Amino acid sequence: MFRSKLILAALAFESSAWSSLALGSSSDRVLLLFLAAHAASSALIASFAWALLPSRMARPRLPVLLFLFGMGFTVPLLGFVGVVAGVHYLRLLPPRGRQERFSAVELPEIDVHLGHGTGFRQAGMRAFLANSAAPIASRLRALVALQNISGRVASPLLRDVLTDPSEDIRLLAYGMLDSKEKHLNEAIHQQATRLHDAPPDSAERLDATRKLADLYWELVYQDLAQGDLREHALRQSLGYTEQALASAPDDAALHLRHGRLRQSLGQPLAARAAYDRALTLGMPKTRIIPYLAEVAYDLNDHAGARALMRELGDWQSLPRLRPVIAYWNRT
Amino acid sequence: MSYPRADDADICLLLEGTFPYVSGGVSSWVNQIIRAFPEIRFAIVFIGSRADDYGSMKYALPDNVVHLEVHYLYDFTTPEKNPKPRHGDTVAFEGVDRLHKCFRHAGSPDPALEAFRAIAPEILPGGSLPEGDFLHSKEAWEIVSKGYREQCTDPSFVDYFWTVRIMHAPLWKLARIAHALIPARAYHSVSTGYAGFLGALLHQIRKRPLILSEHGIYTKERKIDLFKSEWIRDNRNVFQRDPTELSYFRQMWIRFFEWMGRFCYEAADPIIALYENNRLRQVADGARPERTFNVPNGISLKRFAPLRALRPATPPPVLCLIGRVVPIKDVKTFIRAMRRVVNQLPEAEGWIAGPEDEDPGYAAECRNLAESLGIADNVKFLGFQKVDELMPKIGLTILSSISEALPLVILEGYAAGVPTVSTDVGSCRQLIEGLEPEDRALGPSGAVVNIADPQALADAAIALLGDPAAWQAASQVGIARVERYYTDDLMFAHYRRVYEKALAAEDD
Repeated sequence: MFRSKLILAALAFESSAWSSLALGSSSDRVLLLFLAAHAASSALIASFAWALLPSRMARPRLPVLLFLFGMGFTVPLLGFVGVVAGVHYLRLLPPRGRQERFSAVELPEIDVHLGHGTGFRQAGMRAFLANSAAPIASRLRALVALQNISGRVASPLLRDVLTDPSEDIRLLAYGMLDSKEKHLNEAIHQQATRLHDAPPDSAERLDATRKLADLYWELVYQDLAQGDLREHALRQSLGYTEQALASAPDDAALHLRHGRLRQSLGQPLAARAAYDRALTLGMPKTRIIPYLAEVAYDLNDHAGARALMRELGDWQSLPRLRPVIAYWNRT
Repeated sequence: MSYPRADDADICLLLEGTFPYVSGGVSSWVNQIIRAFPEIRFAIVFIGSRADDYGSMKYALPDNVVHLEVHYLYDFTTPEKNPKPRHGDTVAFEGVDRLHKCFRHAGSPDPALEAFRAIAPEILPGGSLPEGDFLHSKEAWEIVSKGYREQCTDPSFVDYFWTVRIMHAPLWKLARIAHALIPARAYHSVSTGYAGFLGALLHQIRKRPLILSEHGIYTKERKIDLFKSEWIRDNRNVFQRDPTELSYFRQMWIRFFEWMGRFCYEAADPIIALYENNRLRQVADGARPERTFNVPNGISLKRFAPLRALRPATPPPVLCLIGRVVPIKDVKTFIRAMRRVVNQLPEAEGWIAGPEDEDPGYAAECRNLAESLGIADNVKFLGFQKVDELMPKIGLTILSSISEALPLVILEGYAAGVPTVSTDVGSCRQLIEGLEPEDRALGPSGAVVNIADPQALADAAIALLGDPAAWQAASQVGIARVERYYTDDLMFAHYRRVYEKALAAEDD
């Protein structure tokens, strides 16, 4: 509405300008009148055309207005037609995409093989695995993650899910437990063969015996044997440890193992003797005292256990035992 | 060795790694079925891994087997000498690319199945996707290297390249088998996997019905192998490894078998499971529910009932695991359980009656385990034994498997009056405790324990062997249960209907 008024006003001014010239008078006053009317008309047509321009061409405002005005003013009649036609033509053109500016960048140092991570970071593994309502796929991934965790921690978790309702979970857990066990049993078989073939009293014989003691203990330590099998593994390990001790009676580490085995088999007195021997052979106190305290506890000697734990209180190097030490040091 | 040959047959059985070269539950079942229908002319396609993996035939071929073909997927024919650079058919390789895109696309499997149907006939001899192009053409190389760049999370291209090759090579072999096979009026596969894939191909090109009877669930059993297998490489270093992810090659193999199963399910109708849980598993793996139903195994009472009279008055302290010595049977758990059984009943013996040639490495591990547990004298490896001779001498059949379907051994034991102790897998609980209320009312015919729990297995066995009254009761319940629900007559009646329908079907 406003625009049509603009153009009507412009036409009115222009026609009055020309009509004043057409009267034939050639005085300066008439020329001035014509120029004034023509300028007003040009200004109106310029603002009319400016309003129609696509916004990206309408800036900066003043120069564009001046240009349009100049066209209309300096080229009478044709200038008007040109400005209007030009604006109309511009409106028909498809908008041109802005020019993108490219610049070279360095390739980021990302390992492409890391691309498809699942980002599974679950705390509380046991609770999560035991939750049979959780999506199977996430639980499977949680299980797979257990592959990189030591057997002592992973085995009980894996055994827990052997009774899971989902067969996939059960089977994966079984497979992982089985392969841990398989590796140990393979090693046991190798060392047993080696022991069998070694000449008596040779260094090789002693080495194989020690390794067998270690491997059977490992079955227990990684919690891979339960019940009678655990007992069997303990007795095997004990047998080999005693054989090794016969050849190397002053080995403190062997005495410590001997004590652990005796203790696990429920023989606290024999265990204590072995621990004492390890101590006299120079095994650091921090390693032996917690076991001695355990033996004292097993024997219902609570005062003894407390005395031992108090002794430990002076040592700062046992962060995992701190709560236990703190408990026993309370008076 | 010459095999029977014929120009055509009624039913063509597609058997992977089973009858007649491997003895076991599925093989006995196939033997049973063939002999139950003497009027039907059977052809058999046996598919194995390598010729060296199998000895001689373990079963005499019934007379109505008119045709037998034996193929080994991993006996490669001599490779093409000095292959020339070549181009493959671009349209065919585009189809391959599309198919693999569909595989990766989560959601409906229909586009993948459709892409598969389009590309499958092209691998047949004369098609636009010959094996040579897969092995040597530029297009194949490009698809493989693109797959590696875009998908593979394992850094080794060499391993990726050869995994792709070794994985796909058998498909062309199967296509050649399908192409050359004699015509049959219906195809019957006893597993998905390679045999199932062959069935799907045959169904598509010959337009005859494909019947699928699954005992175990093939895809699942493959997964067990793949989770455990140590030959699949993982080359990721400690920085590249996401601890929650299986190695890429392991995932590739698992997906491969999942899709092989899908193709087979899509082509097969009917799809028969042994019991409800397996049927549900088939449906979850892509089988259309309306095509599935259950037919439980059944055994011949005539054969086993007379054995009951041969039993001694008190149960012999012999625990017997009847089955192949392979990891899925978890023979090691049985051996471990024997440690405890011998602690409690020093005169007890554990027998392992089954062939050891299928996985000699595992069999050796089992023997070593018995030795390291100090019970080598109580655990006896008997090799393959005739079940009829075994049954009167044993007190319990033991099943320590980590996966089973509906084990014939339990039923055979029942029929001969021998109760069982089994792990809680497949339909074992239903076989021991009963399924429907009437069945359950009979009482337990043995005991069920968790997998990989030697202590519980031993305790259950000791409880039965140490209490003659409980043993007698379980034995009687077993006999009643097998006579009522698991006879071969019931099973044959089902299959008679299945075969009649398939043989009478019009060409698709």
